Amino acid sequence: MANEPALPGDALLREMEAMQRKLIASLKPLQDAADVTFGCSEKEAVYREDKVTLYRYRALAPSANLAPVLIVYALVNRPYMMDLQPDRSLIRRLLELGLDVYLIDWGYPDGADRYVDLNDYINGYLHRCLGVVLREHKIASTTLLGVCQGGTFSLCYTALHPERVRNLITMVTPVDFSTPDNLLAKWVRGLDIDALVDSCGIVSGDVLNAAYVSLMPFRLLQQKYVNLLDQTEDQAQVENFMRMEKWIFDSPDQAGEAFRQFARWLFQENRLMKGTLQIGGQTVDLKKITQPVLNIFGQQDHLVPPAASTPLGDLIGTTEYLPLPLSVGHIGMYVSGKVQRELPQAICSWLKKR
Amino acid sequence: MNAQDTPGTADWAAAMQKTQDELMRQWSAMAQAWSRATTGAPAAGFSPSPAAGIDPAAITNKFLAQFEQYLGVSRALWELLSQASRASEPQERARLFADGLGALQQQFSGAWAATAFGAPLAGAATPFGFGGMPGAMGAGVAGMNPWAAMGAPFGSGQSFGFPGGGAGPFGKMPALGPAREQQEAMQRLAELAQRCWQAQLRLGGQWNEIISLGLKELGEKLAPRLQSGAMPGSVKELYDMWVESAESAYKRVAHGASFIQSQAELTNTLSQLRSAQRELMEEWARQFDLPTRAELNSLHQQVRELKAALQKLTGG
Repeated sequence: MANEPALPGDALLREMEAMQRKLIASLKPLQDAADVTFGCSEKEAVYREDKVTLYRYRALAPSANLAPVLIVYALVNRPYMMDLQPDRSLIRRLLELGLDVYLIDWGYPDGADRYVDLNDYINGYLHRCLGVVLREHKIASTTLLGVCQGGTFSLCYTALHPERVRNLITMVTPVDFSTPDNLLAKWVRGLDIDALVDSCGIVSGDVLNAAYVSLMPFRLLQQKYVNLLDQTEDQAQVENFMRMEKWIFDSPDQAGEAFRQFARWLFQENRLMKGTLQIGGQTVDLKKITQPVLNIFGQQDHLVPPAASTPLGDLIGTTEYLPLPLSVGHIGMYVSGKVQRELPQAICSWLKKR
Repeated sequence: MNAQDTPGTADWAAAMQKTQDELMRQWSAMAQAWSRATTGAPAAGFSPSPAAGIDPAAITNKFLAQFEQYLGVSRALWELLSQASRASEPQERARLFADGLGALQQQFSGAWAATAFGAPLAGAATPFGFGGMPGAMGAGVAGMNPWAAMGAPFGSGQSFGFPGGGAGPFGKMPALGPAREQQEAMQRLAELAQRCWQAQLRLGGQWNEIISLGLKELGEKLAPRLQSGAMPGSVKELYDMWVESAESAYKRVAHGASFIQSQAELTNTLSQLRSAQRELMEEWARQFDLPTRAELNSLHQQVRELKAALQKLTGG
């Protein structure tokens, strides 16, 4: 006979009882984390239009004498992920390095915004926010830092208004929406986008969230909560978890027309990659991007796989293109300790050389 | 190992019940605090989500649901492993385990079909937990079943208002007379509800396949260990192996044309159903001279055109 299996008979009950004790013990730490706050750096609103607010962050260090950085975040999540808490804040690290940081908060669209389209976002809100920054600093161009979908917006904007962008930084930014590993894009391609948008006017953030967590349902809908029980002895870990949980499910609804265009033109027709995308009647020609470009992407990113980001270098016209792969996933790009230590310095060093 | 080493069903149930009672008592207090955090925790400079009206009981149930399913899945797998490990021959252990996994197929499918897209199988059994739909996005959790909610206004999210999805003989009657337009609209609604139900079943079939492949993969991973006696060291380890196997199977199926088609079909039909529902609602609203979405949309368009004209004039 082979080795005797060593399966303890009452292990199931003992382990389940232990797990349930952990559950009960987790109540207090979770309760204490219920009022967890997010957003840690001081800022002031310097421009508002409709639901959009442009913030300027208060300096934390002497100026590095670099062009201000305007962060263009995605529409599909809230931008406080960039400044979640003191030890998880790209913005705070940039401020500590002497950069002047602005951020566009797109707000929460509602039924009144159903006809807001990509032209409004890119040639409208983004253009005017950038105008505020340029006027404030009396400069002709500055640095754009586009994140995820905001990176795609920044690419479009830079191609359409190259004279106003001095340096372009893209972070976890999709360019090619039809790579074989992009599950989200595969799903979107089968959808009747017109029927979806026409039926609801604005697209529910809850529906989008359901799609995101469904990319890894067994892990994201269950296992991560089971694993949480092993972290509840550390209050800071519980608070980190709660902040992430809040951010993950704090998804604004999407303006219907902008969603329709983004889903159809980019996800379904891959127009940015093919050079056929038009915004406001103008073709987005990525070859017109001749300024320095830093492209940051996560090697384990399941939402924006590396293959979706890396073609950028071949599509743009600049001779100063630097891809910066980091060994993290999509979320890790914002919260990983290693990224927090290394990325802000890398951005700052890159900007200083320009 | 012998039979008395495995806890009896009565012991198990009593232990679970005791813990559940204690949990519910403590959770009712905690849910209040959590609800406040979810709806109103002020961020530094950012407005909180406008989503309001979160039910503390729903939050409690949602959290508990994670563990109900974990307990159910882990228990089922561990008990099967225990039974298989009693066999003296290594090959027999592996065979018993593999056969047992096949028997778990229906239980696991019923549980997971309910989660990812709010598309529970019609009449799906809910074998895990203390009752109610398992999983974070089960139907019992307000606001966490967005797919089904798309078709909810005229009925429950699960049945789309037409249990069984059939319109019956009514669905085939030609529309005649002064009310023919309304009859046609209702027939259209019934047809869409039926299509939703069918699409839901097809997606459920995909979930069956995912669970089947996941269990098979788990069996393949565990077979060498069953034969050598190197059993998983804990229930959690076994559960993690299950999750890994299930995600692996899911990845294969979810990238496939059948899954994509089934999912798209459900979403697209739900969209059509929602639009058809709204048309009927608007017709009803017009009879009472109440404002409709179509009128509001028209106003939004006019405001948008005015804003554009103003910006042109002011050079904005």
